[in-house]
Amino acid sequence: MARLANLETEYPVLDSTVRNFCASHGIFSAAFAEQNDSSERLKEGIAQVLSIIDDMHQPWLNGMELLEDAKRNKHVFPTGIQGIDLLLGDGIRVGQLTELVGPSSSGKTQVCLRTASNVARNHMVLYLDTGNSFSPQCIAYFLGKTISPSSAQAKNQFLQKVMSNISCHSVFDIFAMFDVLHQLESYLRCQDGRGCCQMRLLIVDSISSLISPVLGSSSTLGRALMTSAGYLLKKLAHQHNLAVLIINHTVGGEGGSSKPALGDSWKCIPHSRLFLSCDRGSNTYNVSILRHPSMASVKAARFVI
Amino acid sequence: MEIWRLPISASQRGKLISAGYTSLSSLSSISSSDLARELKVSESEAMNILKVASHSRGSETSNASCSIVEGAQSAWDMLHDEESLMHITTSSADLDNILGGGIHCKEVTEIGGVPGIGKTQLGIQVAVNVQIPNDFGGLGGKAIYIDTEGSFMVERAFQIAEACIEDMSEYNRFLRKDFQECKIKMLPQDILENIFYFRICSYTEQIALINYLDKFLSEHKDVKVIVVDSVTFHFRQDFDDMALRTRVLSGMALKLMNLAKRFSLAVVLLNQVTTKHTEASFQLALALGDSWSHTCTNRIVLYWNGNERYAYIDKSPSLRSASAAYSVTARGIRNSSSSCKRIKMM
Repeated sequence: MARLANLETEYPVLDSTVRNFCASHGIFSAAFAEQNDSSERLKEGIAQVLSIIDDMHQPWLNGMELLEDAKRNKHVFPTGIQGIDLLLGDGIRVGQLTELVGPSSSGKTQVCLRTASNVARNHMVLYLDTGNSFSPQCIAYFLGKTISPSSAQAKNQFLQKVMSNISCHSVFDIFAMFDVLHQLESYLRCQDGRGCCQMRLLIVDSISSLISPVLGSSSTLGRALMTSAGYLLKKLAHQHNLAVLIINHTVGGEGGSSKPALGDSWKCIPHSRLFLSCDRGSNTYNVSILRHPSMASVKAARFVI
Repeated sequence: MEIWRLPISASQRGKLISAGYTSLSSLSSISSSDLARELKVSESEAMNILKVASHSRGSETSNASCSIVEGAQSAWDMLHDEESLMHITTSSADLDNILGGGIHCKEVTEIGGVPGIGKTQLGIQVAVNVQIPNDFGGLGGKAIYIDTEGSFMVERAFQIAEACIEDMSEYNRFLRKDFQECKIKMLPQDILENIFYFRICSYTEQIALINYLDKFLSEHKDVKVIVVDSVTFHFRQDFDDMALRTRVLSGMALKLMNLAKRFSLAVVLLNQVTTKHTEASFQLALALGDSWSHTCTNRIVLYWNGNERYAYIDKSPSLRSASAAYSVTARGIRNSSSSCKRIKMM
């Protein structure tokens, strides 16, 4: 939102009289305009400010336009893991924020690496890593399993092509993550014009490591940063047609059972939440749906990586 | 980008918002003296705010380069970098095998176990083995040993260093028997000189030291491993505020991850155990809680199996879960032989 003083060059009606009037009512920027019934000049000024505000919100869309957008842009990406794809009805959806929750060593990073290697065949992927757990060897292994045995050189070329589509960046605090998402936003704005290989998947591993150091102290800044991170990710997902996959961990709940970390304020932010756990004896993983826009939330499945 | 995403203090943020500056673009054309006058703060504070804002804005415009984000690396480049990364051997071949060659650099490895299983011994062995020269397959680097419990014994480190040098000369003799035998010029004293030892007596000292390590490592670029023995000690007793403990520990873990990545070194954290009540049974689990268990890259659990010491890979992004036996001998950590090693209580 611009300050009224800065807008004077574009809209000369917002001269100093109008601005002083607004200042006396505590209005310094276009965000704070209110109604008033004094002189004509002030009315004009206020009307101008209100029309500037009107230009700033997202355009109205009707149901048909939303449906068109969903059909054309909001595809579904299979994760490459049969159990999860069956559970989710084909995979993770573009335009939505999917969260993987689970106790330590329950396969969350492996699922993300598998999904990244699957999506990277045709699109670009950005992996934000907070725990130095991005393993290119795992990606090479997953890709190696999916192609038919051919010459070593062909395999190498395939690996190079696909793995160059995955970018990995390490972030170690939440402000660095905001910086990265901001850069990503400008990159995506330029990308929307081009038709070639586009970025379609963003993975954050893990968002809870970034938020835990700031959440819970007496100030409310931690929660504000957490919710704004969630909104920024959802905005990127919807406006630029990305699928966003984030990892959260669990903490102890009542009675010794684990519940997802980050508290109740975070609970409603992701569109879908999947709970993963590992059965050590048989080396299989269990996944169940905690929340999903279109699947029933008691469904569960097993898979092996 | 909005104002409240900038890393500035809460009072400065409040003043900016009440003066009408809610986005970065509104700060683009104002000078620091005008800003100081409007916000009623000192000019240096205003200059600071503008600097932070322009730094964040600067990242907007630099996107002509090929990478999506500054500092990102493609997975293909990382695969090749990883192949050239060295590992720190633990001197036990079985243990090295399940670890994929040894302790990985650029990663934080947590090692936990019951008292007496050999955590400090493993820590000292790693601090000595990191100094093995490049010719013998080691990193040739120095070590930082952060001692919170006071369990580091210099005489034991000397003993392990001596044994390590003897092993190196044996290897030398075995491999290069055709050439002129070149004597190992290292002495145990040299190895001890390359271990930087810090003794920590409270959790505030621990946090302060982790913050100081950034500067220390910029001056000593050949440090290749940081061993913290143990990371739990000052966070277990007398810590009233659990929420504060979680915040402090997660912040510390992120800083250590940052150091590991930036300076390409290995971080080894030694942890203690606690009992966990799950359903109807009691189970031994590593201390410091669920949120801490999530923060490390790798986790190794040391346990007794009968009379043998075993190590189990509990968490790793690229290694399979496996366990291997090892033993603690007078020469340090070695492969286990079948004879019983546990001291029997008579």
